Amino acid sequence: MPRLRHSFRDGPAFDAFLVLLALGYLLVLSAFPLVYNLILSFQDVDLFTLASFDRPFVGWRNYAEVLGALVAPGIFANTALFVALSLLFQVTIGFGLALLFDLRFPGARWLRGLFLAGWIMPGLVVGAVWSWILAGDFGVLNHLLRTLGMIDGRIFWLSDPDMALYSVIIANVWLGIPFNMILLSVGLAAIPDDLYEAAALDGATRLQRFRTITLPLMRAQLGAVIALGVIFTLQQFDLFAALTQGGPSNASNVLQYWSWQMSFQEYRIGHGAVVSVLMILFVVLVAAVYVRSTRQDHAV
Amino acid sequence: MLSEGSSWKRGLLLALGLALVAIYLFPLYWMYATALKSQSEIFAQPPTLWPREPQLRLAEVWTRMKMDVAIGNSLLIAAGSTALVVLLGTGCAYALARVRNRWMDAALFLVLMMQVLPSSLMITPIFVAYAQIGLTDMPRLGVILAQAAKALPLYIVLCRATFLQVPRELEEAARVDGHSRLGAFLWIMVPLARNGLLVCAILIFMQGLGEYVYARSLIADRAYQPATVGLQSFMGPNSSDWAGVMTYAAIYVTPILILFVLLQRQIVSGLTSGALK
Repeated sequence: MPRLRHSFRDGPAFDAFLVLLALGYLLVLSAFPLVYNLILSFQDVDLFTLASFDRPFVGWRNYAEVLGALVAPGIFANTALFVALSLLFQVTIGFGLALLFDLRFPGARWLRGLFLAGWIMPGLVVGAVWSWILAGDFGVLNHLLRTLGMIDGRIFWLSDPDMALYSVIIANVWLGIPFNMILLSVGLAAIPDDLYEAAALDGATRLQRFRTITLPLMRAQLGAVIALGVIFTLQQFDLFAALTQGGPSNASNVLQYWSWQMSFQEYRIGHGAVVSVLMILFVVLVAAVYVRSTRQDHAV
Repeated sequence: MLSEGSSWKRGLLLALGLALVAIYLFPLYWMYATALKSQSEIFAQPPTLWPREPQLRLAEVWTRMKMDVAIGNSLLIAAGSTALVVLLGTGCAYALARVRNRWMDAALFLVLMMQVLPSSLMITPIFVAYAQIGLTDMPRLGVILAQAAKALPLYIVLCRATFLQVPRELEEAARVDGHSRLGAFLWIMVPLARNGLLVCAILIFMQGLGEYVYARSLIADRAYQPATVGLQSFMGPNSSDWAGVMTYAAIYVTPILILFVLLQRQIVSGLTSGALK
């Protein structure tokens, strides 16, 4: 194999080797689990058959049982609401902050950087802090709302079935704001000042400039944060573990947490795999659409 | 936008910016303030914004919750997964930045797809596969391997952006001087991209420190659990020792926050250059 050796030393075999090394690892620990997941979703897997290689196939039974479960519609709706509301607030607040810190005033960059402290915190710690802030009896948020006269009694954020999902959304919005703000800031910084100056000379008001210059030029960037937001929001697990564990009685449960509960708390692994398969399909679809669209934009 | 406006207008904006930062960082402040309060002051109504008699329970919480073990496990998992990611990913990022053809495009697309797989959904098949090959007996290794696969794509994407900024002429000059491809990569390209690679590695390390799903699912023995799982079990359903929980959280995240403040500028620029591609 002298040719291959030569190519490795001086030619393209070196690049191929480097790429295949990483892809090989991902193949074993990401791609294989994906395929295995699909197989598991058609099998009957519990604690006793866990380590066995010979498990009974049950056809579509797992799918029928999971999708037909009484709690399924509620959990699907929760997931949609969780993603939609999280994104709505993350993107609008993040965009607002990006616009503010794009104005030139002393310390703007430095202040903007401080927001990222929230982004760097482990999700579980964020969840722990918020579960103390949101605590029904001695939590500081209830106290604040009472002082402002917005509520009379106490809201049991984490244990009230009507509020539990919203408390996770609040924490998730907090966690997601910095990421949105920083990505949108990059987009804003790339808009040339002359455009605004020219528009100002033409007598355009601030609002008109925002509508006719900022928004259209930020379209790709906004699309990117929305697509990435869907992906990251569906990855959110730690906040549910720290705040509500999907409860009370599934009032705040979402698909990614439900899947984990079935696999690791009830040991209905085939059922957990079904949800996992469906969710991963959806996430990969979103990601593929997003990556394709960014490639057309600037030919990565 | 335009730099119009007088100095009082800029002062007003500064005040607004400061107020928003203060509101946003309040949860962080509340963590530290609570950690400094006494058991009884926690339940004071109305809550005290500033601890009346600040007291630190670092040593007590540290020993009672066996934080030395938990933090040690966190560091082990973070270091192990980061080492794996750097070893496997740096070369891949370099090759993907250097060569542009159909195959490399396809490889990059695959890497990007792997980046979006949620841990909480991947853990089911990984757990079953581990059980079958007996890896559940070495749970920390199992977590390291899985976490490395989770973090590898992000590292590759971010480092690729770093390598794209290194002029290719420098590598070609090294090749003319007689370096092999490997030599040029190790002695020319990696040192030139050093700062960017270091920031990426630190990001991956911090992700490893915060890892929860895999550790919670794979590690049953408390002696091997990292601090995230320790914090979660400390909170428990009936715990009311919020000062203790916040002390635990503060001990755990303060080093991360310090590291972040020191490297803030590099992290932001590293992230923004890679995240959108």
